[in-house]
Amino acid sequence: MIELVDVRKAFNQGQHNELWAVRGITLNLDGSRAAVLRGPSGSGKTTLLTLIGCLARPTSGRVRLQGRDVSGMTERFLTGLRRQTFGFVFQQFNLVRGLTVEENVMLPAYPLGTPRPELRRRVGALLEALDLASHAQARAEWLSGGQAQRAAIARALVNDPAVVLADEPTANLDTELSRRFLDIVRDLKGQGKTLIMTSHDPLLCQAAEVDRVIDMRDGHLA
Amino acid sequence: MVVNPAIVALAIAALVSTLLLAYSAGFGWHLVRHWDLTSGSALQVRLERQTYLTSTLVALVFVTEATSLLLFVYNADRIAPLFVGAMCAVGTLNTSPFGFPTLMVKILVFFSASTWLILHHLDTRGYDYPLTRLKYGLLFAIAPLVAAETYLQLRFFLALDTDVITSCCGSLFGANREALASELAGLAPGPAMALFYGVLTLTLAVGLAARRWPAAGFAYALLSAVSFVVSLAAVVSFVSLYVYEHPHHHCPFCLLKSEYGYQGYLIYGPLFLATALGIGSGVVRLFARVPSLRPLVPPLARRLTNVSLGLFFFLVLWVCILTAKSALVLLGNEGG
Repeated sequence: MIELVDVRKAFNQGQHNELWAVRGITLNLDGSRAAVLRGPSGSGKTTLLTLIGCLARPTSGRVRLQGRDVSGMTERFLTGLRRQTFGFVFQQFNLVRGLTVEENVMLPAYPLGTPRPELRRRVGALLEALDLASHAQARAEWLSGGQAQRAAIARALVNDPAVVLADEPTANLDTELSRRFLDIVRDLKGQGKTLIMTSHDPLLCQAAEVDRVIDMRDGHLA
Repeated sequence: MVVNPAIVALAIAALVSTLLLAYSAGFGWHLVRHWDLTSGSALQVRLERQTYLTSTLVALVFVTEATSLLLFVYNADRIAPLFVGAMCAVGTLNTSPFGFPTLMVKILVFFSASTWLILHHLDTRGYDYPLTRLKYGLLFAIAPLVAAETYLQLRFFLALDTDVITSCCGSLFGANREALASELAGLAPGPAMALFYGVLTLTLAVGLAARRWPAAGFAYALLSAVSFVVSLAAVVSFVSLYVYEHPHHHCPFCLLKSEYGYQGYLIYGPLFLATALGIGSGVVRLFARVPSLRPLVPPLARRLTNVSLGLFFFLVLWVCILTAKSALVLLGNEGG
């Protein structure tokens, strides 16, 4: 489903502080599976995740989604692709303070012009499934870590993406909340979604729900 | 040299356009040589990124170039009173041998630029840069044209001298001289009308057919170009006579004057736009088989054809109105 061919990514290229975060990675990721990019801090796993999700462009190499090259696409196409194909769960969740959980979850759907009643129904169902319905009108800053993460997951799922990308999803969670996250992973896989996560948490990497662990070090596959 | 804001703006715009196009053509040379979509090399990825910015730059230059034609003609008309013997833009353009060549090249640049802009519009809607190489290849032909226009225009502006006694439209568009303008002026109104209405009716009919049968789109593009020439001939031959209500005043430039209510802009504006869009509608159909453009070409070609048809229809209607409301009776009274 997702194919990376000799992907490299440099920051500050040509300057004294040039940094090669990803150094020639070739990788195939199948659909409806959960994969974890594992590696120490600075290994390039978050950069690789942003390249897969079209949040950044490679310095060289190709990223293909279902056979179509997406790494060279212009913003006109990337915006739609990101909106409809990928759902992002950020490490710090990035919920907008001052907005309610429901409003936060609705945000990525606004540009698609879905009628508001239908959107509210969809968001309600998502919050229900993630056991967050009772907090729909709570402000983002009032949520606990686990609640904030589930709100972030609901937001990632609101446009029904085929691929969910999660950066260090269990980094801020205790063991019990991490196990609840794995339950969500299992449910999403059951719905046919592909999950790609970064982590160095053994609980996540060794979980039965994870189909593949890809080790990284210094921008290479280990 | 005469200096006014329009001349300064035109000269600066032309110089900046030439410089930007020179840079873009240089980048285009690099792109045409190294472009390879199957490669993920750092060079290819960099070219893909740069093409976005450079294409935007070229599009801006071409929009400027296309609109500069309007300002050039308007300014030539406005400064005519400065020159002894000049009554309209013709007198201004006649003050030096560079006036009319500049206008001709500007018209050529207008249609080249409009075609490039339509191709660019189509290219940016294909996800895999389907026309990028072609677009930059075309720059090698258009950039020298813009450079020539800049040179001619600059020479024209530098040669403007208020002490020069110039000849105006009466002598250029008199029916008894041996020049293309005089040939057109000498064309009898009856046949000229038949030719104008005949060709324009055929163009409208083929355009309507092209909305249903795409194959007719190429014929429509060709007829759009023919209609442009025929319409210009018609303006000189009979439209101008009806507007001026004078049987021997054939000037196509006096139509732009306030004395005649700027009616020329309502003739030339639709004519130039309709022709550009009509030609563009045929050009985009050439790429209907490119996989990433297959769903995009038919609706775009239809839209271009529709707007072009509307403008041609407006032109015919406007000429009919001008003819009908004129106090001049030409047909049957050719002797005046």
